[in-house]
Amino acid sequence: MDEYAIGVLTNIGLISFLGLSAYVLLISGELSFGQQAFFGIGAYAAGIATAMFAWPLPLAIAIAMAGGATAAALVAWPTLRLRGLYFAMATLAAAEMFRIAFELLHWQVELGGERVGPDGTQGFRGIRWIFERGVEPLGFLALVWLLLLAFVLGIWWMERSRLGATLRAVGADPELARSLGVDVERLKLAIVAASGALAALGGALFAHHNTYIEPRNFDLMLGVHSLAYPLIGGLGTVLGPLLGAALDIGVLEGSRFLQGYRMIVFGGLVALLLIFRPRGLLDENLVHRLKK
Amino acid sequence: MMKLLVLAALLAPLTVHAQTRADMQCKATGKDLIYDCTIRLARGDQPLEGAQVSVGADMPSMPMAHNVKPVKARPGNGPGEYLARLDLEMTGEWAVKVRISGKVRDQVVLHYRFDERGARPIRRR
Repeated sequence: MDEYAIGVLTNIGLISFLGLSAYVLLISGELSFGQQAFFGIGAYAAGIATAMFAWPLPLAIAIAMAGGATAAALVAWPTLRLRGLYFAMATLAAAEMFRIAFELLHWQVELGGERVGPDGTQGFRGIRWIFERGVEPLGFLALVWLLLLAFVLGIWWMERSRLGATLRAVGADPELARSLGVDVERLKLAIVAASGALAALGGALFAHHNTYIEPRNFDLMLGVHSLAYPLIGGLGTVLGPLLGAALDIGVLEGSRFLQGYRMIVFGGLVALLLIFRPRGLLDENLVHRLKK
Repeated sequence: MMKLLVLAALLAPLTVHAQTRADMQCKATGKDLIYDCTIRLARGDQPLEGAQVSVGADMPSMPMAHNVKPVKARPGNGPGEYLARLDLEMTGEWAVKVRISGKVRDQVVLHYRFDERGARPIRRR
């Protein structure tokens, strides 16, 4: 496999984490425009851990996930009482606050004659753990997809359990679920925290793949894409966000001959898809028919 | 035993190596959004010679989806010099990714603003 193909597959894997994090929120009835913030928190936290403190990557990933979960829970705690678009707007505002915080973050240390660490809008260079360790691109691709597979299987198992059924019930009608004895607020808080951890894991891997991050990597554009993946791929199965990410990057890569116009064509395709299949390609009806 | 050794390697803190430094100059070719770029690479105080270098570019606001397909750079005339032709989709700011393989593996990201004349590095405030 050539370097380009490995790069494309790695990008699909990385961005799928973000799509999965939006998916778990969507099936519980919440629309978030702020998942990019937790992706960014994961990227910064893991980058600081390996590049500035020389901690191992597994520990950095654990710290990133804990940071993403904590930040998501802190955002959700006051905002979950909001409904629908109001919650979406609150998550967008919170994400912008985090992005501005990254712009204000200046914390560098001297390592090997170089200044390493976040430098505000100048970004954070030198997150070189995988290069220092001699991890080949194919090895990193395998790491990304193994982790992704583990979380896909975990969510798939969760969806088949009582918890999954409860989550979809909360998503369909929270009042009815509450009347059946479900602690809706606590469940949603836990799901938001889990989605934050998932996004942060993607961000931690992204930072190490890219070696460089900056606040603008985590702006609204990334949030819109993360939401688009489950909506394009479908909300009927956990594979939906992966299909959405593969279609996004696949169509964009396959239409390079259109140069800058490919973004317009892609936007048109997404609009058509959402008109004709509003809950995505692998929606609940199709998945139900396939199961039969 | 082998598993333990692999686990130990993954968990051990790493030592700090010299980073690769890069600077770049690009000229517009006159063809639509195609730029000829000269990249100079150094590691420590020495120019980095004999490396395999590929050059791609990302848009900072959409790094994984909106990018330029990497091209292989060829060695230039000067020490540590490599030449690459970049075919961008639009003018504006790009994060140019210089990926180095061979005896040294590393990646350097450079921020440049591309316009009709060429490219210049960006210092944000």
